[in-house]
Amino acid sequence: MNPALQGLVTIFIGVGGCMAYFYVSNLILDKVIYPAKGPNISQNINRANLVRPWLFLLPVIILLTLYLVYPVVGSFVRSLYNRSGDEFIGLGNYSSLIGSSDFRVAFFNNALWALVVPALSTFLGLVIAQLTDRLSWGNIAKSIIFMPMAISFVGASLIWKFVYAPDPDIGLINAILTSFGMEAVDVLQIPFWNNLFLMVLLIWVQTGFAMVILSAALRGVPEETIEAAIIDGANPFQVFFKIQVPQIVATIIVVWTTITIGTLKIFDIVYAMTGGNFGTQILPSYMMQFMFRDDGRATAVAVLIMIIVSPVVISNVRQARKELR
Amino acid sequence: MTIKTALLSATAVFALSAGSALHAQDLLHPIGEGDFSWDSLQAFADKYDFSGESMNVTGATTGDDAQRYRNLYAYFEQATGATVEYSGSESFEQDIVIASQAGGLPDVALFPQPGLAKDLAANGTLVPVADPDVMVEKYAAGSSWRDLGTFPGADGETDVFGLFFGTDIKSLVWYSPEQFDEGGYDIPETQEELMALSKQIVDDGGTPWCIGLGSGAATGWPATDWVEDMMLRTSSLEVYDQWVNHEIPFNDPRVVAAIEAYGSYALVEEFTPAGPSVVATTDFRDSPDGLFAFPPECYMHRQASFIPIFFPEDVEAGEDYDFFYFPPFEANAELGRPLLGAGGLASVTNDRPVTTAFMEFLATPIAHEIMMSQGQFLSPHNDANLDIYTSDTQRQLGEILTTATSFRFDGSDLMPGEIGTNAFWTGMVDYTTGADAQSVADAIEERWKSIQ
Amino acid sequence: MENIAGQKSALAWATRITVLALVLIWLVPTIGLFVSSFRDRDQISETGWWRSFLPVEQGLRARASVDGIEVDGNTFILTGSIYDDKEVLSTVGDARPPVVAFGNAGRNPGQFIAGETADLGDSETLLVNEDGSYRYVVNEDPGKRGPRIYFYASTPPVFSFANYRAVLSADNMDQAFINTLTVTIPTTIIPILMAAFAAYALAWMDFKGRGLMIAAIVALLVVPLQLALVPALQMHNAVGIGQSFVGIWLAHTAFGLPLAVYLLRNYMVGLPRDIIESAKVDGATDFQVFLKIVLPLSFPALASFAIFQFLWTWNDLLVAKVFLPSSEEAKVMTVKIADDLLGSRGGDWGILATAAFVSIGVPFLVFFTLQRYLVRGLLAGSVK
Repeated sequence: MNPALQGLVTIFIGVGGCMAYFYVSNLILDKVIYPAKGPNISQNINRANLVRPWLFLLPVIILLTLYLVYPVVGSFVRSLYNRSGDEFIGLGNYSSLIGSSDFRVAFFNNALWALVVPALSTFLGLVIAQLTDRLSWGNIAKSIIFMPMAISFVGASLIWKFVYAPDPDIGLINAILTSFGMEAVDVLQIPFWNNLFLMVLLIWVQTGFAMVILSAALRGVPEETIEAAIIDGANPFQVFFKIQVPQIVATIIVVWTTITIGTLKIFDIVYAMTGGNFGTQILPSYMMQFMFRDDGRATAVAVLIMIIVSPVVISNVRQARKELR
Repeated sequence: MTIKTALLSATAVFALSAGSALHAQDLLHPIGEGDFSWDSLQAFADKYDFSGESMNVTGATTGDDAQRYRNLYAYFEQATGATVEYSGSESFEQDIVIASQAGGLPDVALFPQPGLAKDLAANGTLVPVADPDVMVEKYAAGSSWRDLGTFPGADGETDVFGLFFGTDIKSLVWYSPEQFDEGGYDIPETQEELMALSKQIVDDGGTPWCIGLGSGAATGWPATDWVEDMMLRTSSLEVYDQWVNHEIPFNDPRVVAAIEAYGSYALVEEFTPAGPSVVATTDFRDSPDGLFAFPPECYMHRQASFIPIFFPEDVEAGEDYDFFYFPPFEANAELGRPLLGAGGLASVTNDRPVTTAFMEFLATPIAHEIMMSQGQFLSPHNDANLDIYTSDTQRQLGEILTTATSFRFDGSDLMPGEIGTNAFWTGMVDYTTGADAQSVADAIEERWKSIQ
Repeated sequence: MENIAGQKSALAWATRITVLALVLIWLVPTIGLFVSSFRDRDQISETGWWRSFLPVEQGLRARASVDGIEVDGNTFILTGSIYDDKEVLSTVGDARPPVVAFGNAGRNPGQFIAGETADLGDSETLLVNEDGSYRYVVNEDPGKRGPRIYFYASTPPVFSFANYRAVLSADNMDQAFINTLTVTIPTTIIPILMAAFAAYALAWMDFKGRGLMIAAIVALLVVPLQLALVPALQMHNAVGIGQSFVGIWLAHTAFGLPLAVYLLRNYMVGLPRDIIESAKVDGATDFQVFLKIVLPLSFPALASFAIFQFLWTWNDLLVAKVFLPSSEEAKVMTVKIADDLLGSRGGDWGILATAAFVSIGVPFLVFFTLQRYLVRGLLAGSVK
């Protein structure tokens, strides 16, 4: 069979099968198991409604359990064993990690990443979403800000190599510096600041994400509230900060959370740009050093990353509780 | 060629082409033509017939390089009737570990260096080679090759788990003969002369060295080769082996001295085009370009025999570039002329008659010659015809390899992964950018202790 | 009033300038990549992309030809054109760019200005004219190999489609493109479908354990993919899926689900309560409410998640490597580029830049197509 055709057929079966599940399972629930007719109609409807959430959630629960929950549990267990996995060492991997200065550097840097990258990406995304909203060429501007999202991390690293390279013939920053008569510097070797230069890459990528989501949210803010504020004499800044932003706080939290979590998973940038040298190590790239070599330690780092994120998880659950009341 | 061998070759042509005419057009060199050891192919073909069978080979070789291996496998297919599917992957090392844990192993794996093979031998992924003495019989300095491929298996018993196929020599300095002529520089015979030459070049207003440690996540590895070469030139082979096997600590004064010997070149501001901090980030693939600039950005580049792949497209071996042996110290004359090298290891991951035959094929002279004929492949095989090499430069490298007496393997490839492919690399970057040798060695030693 | 109008237009200008500045900051690095995709590796590591539009003074070398040698006692006169030299021809072709400077030593290749006779000492002289013709006077027989002439020529900028040809015409690239679509389209649509149902349940259905489920979904967002690879592949092998398209669909779907559920639930929970409740009062089942009200209202969220899920699966290399067989027929574009094009010449920046641009096209198309669903009208019309 023609590969393109084969692809189409498989797409059709995959998507169709998924649709069919939801349709058929609801049909069976409503018509066969608890039909909304006969003597115990109200009881049947109640029972059906008790079951239905789980019908809706079932595929997600199954897939997440198999592909994520089970590996996480397995990884936690693995993190209690030694390098080759045949000896139980309790929290040995954790204590040796915490005792290692490399780990502490990575941990500190990562904390910095988790604060700076989501804050700046979300802020810039919000500002751009708002500013481009009323511009005639707003969509072009948005597409350009969005573009880095579509470039692979390897491509992105290459792009920034042409910006950061210490050779003034290749790196843009040093070309500018030397043209002003200053000495060329390797920005990726300046202690502490090099972390910020690496963060710029991720901010450059993630702002597009923040912008797309926040732009949709801003457009969901009812016109009436904005118009009312303008009639009351509010200036554009007041409208933005006092009317629009408060109405999309939930979305801002979502964007913030997503970027924070992304920041804690992305190792490619540090991997490709500095290899973790010059004090730029972060936890995901630190973990990759051990991955598939010393799985005990790699999984211990992963578990620690998950623990670090727990405040974010808790604040999200709180927010969810509030919404449900 | 005697009449007998001529006849043999003629029958070889006939027998092979009759066997499977299907693949005939894929062959790089028509069978029977040229100075190849066609007899060994014929002898091999006579022994086996695997018509209809197929096998998978995976390795880290990709792109155009992978094609060179496929060209080789075409001869195996021709001789046995089996089909070989080769797939190369940039992330081979990760892929093979995942496959060993989750399933989906190939039939034969080509490891770029033996360190990982050692781990996989220990967990039972690899199958010992059928004939453990094959390298002793056929390779120059064969017993040392065999020892390098000998690891403990899953049952704790040691065995030979692979065949070295494809070798690199590391103790080389690349230079431009024309620029050397122009400057009136002679090839240094000792480290003392090399240092004097480096200073001479600086005095003449030039820059002696191009060094680049950049290699993405692997940044730092070129410096480990420097240190290993220095180690072999400042300490005995026994000490080198003890260092690699962690029988002496990494922060032993002799190791620290070797690191500092590397520093005596890399850390001198005027010795490299932009100083040591740029050395640490210059990509190793870009750094030799300086040899070919006018005016030359540098005069010498210490790197392994594979580096010409990364030279600019239009430069020619012998004409635009050449190499000399990274010399020993006159002060340590008793250490001789040691050679640092590295090599890939072919191992069976799925025990089948066809894979056993495949390994035997890789040990035939013809297999080595086919690879040699495509450039960028050095072989220690005693029976491979040196005339097959594509350039004098390659031939000289091949000769160095087959006549080597004290050959030592790249130490970082033999150390545990966390050290050899991580702590040692990053330690060298730290050292190059200002940390002192002792504290770098202390940190690596610390890390090594923590994994035992 | 005038004052306010003035303020307004000043603000509008401030807005425009700010956006323009941000767009430029975002664009400049990408332009660098774009320009580099038309250059080869040697050029890229030679000069910055911002100078690639200007003529470059390129250092070249030739050998004086001994063919038309004139012997005059102890002096030997070599004449000819450096543009007839084989080595020069192979780099600049027939272009014959003007010579700017020349020299007789590689150490100082631009010592003398073109058109002026240089005194090399020992009564030796060298003259190279702008058009490349030279006259070299030496006092030693050069034998068969003439002496070197180094020179700088002002070569025009060179751009070529060679990288694009290499990427686009690679063997089986069309197959890889189709494979990528085969992977990305189902793994964009299926998780959205599943997640939408789950998100609705978590947002609008009351049941025990809902809070726990939400917490679990957020917690699973952070699981590093690398942890899941080996167990998932083991499972695939155990149930007979092995390495196949079915396997990668399941894997991508599962890995994309936490974010999909999280984003969609947060969007759905913000939908107006009265519409949904009045529909329920009218006797609609949850299934009907979901299909007829919530799903259409959630289109902006579905579209934005679709964009991102598509991007991730499109640019993914890791999951494709692990869950698809390594054979030629199953390779997706990212794998093809990483293993067959970049290959052992991992430093081929030109190919890398081109590959990044080639693979950007389709995601961009998806972005433009779905962007119109991110507009206000959809919501404003139906809500209220």
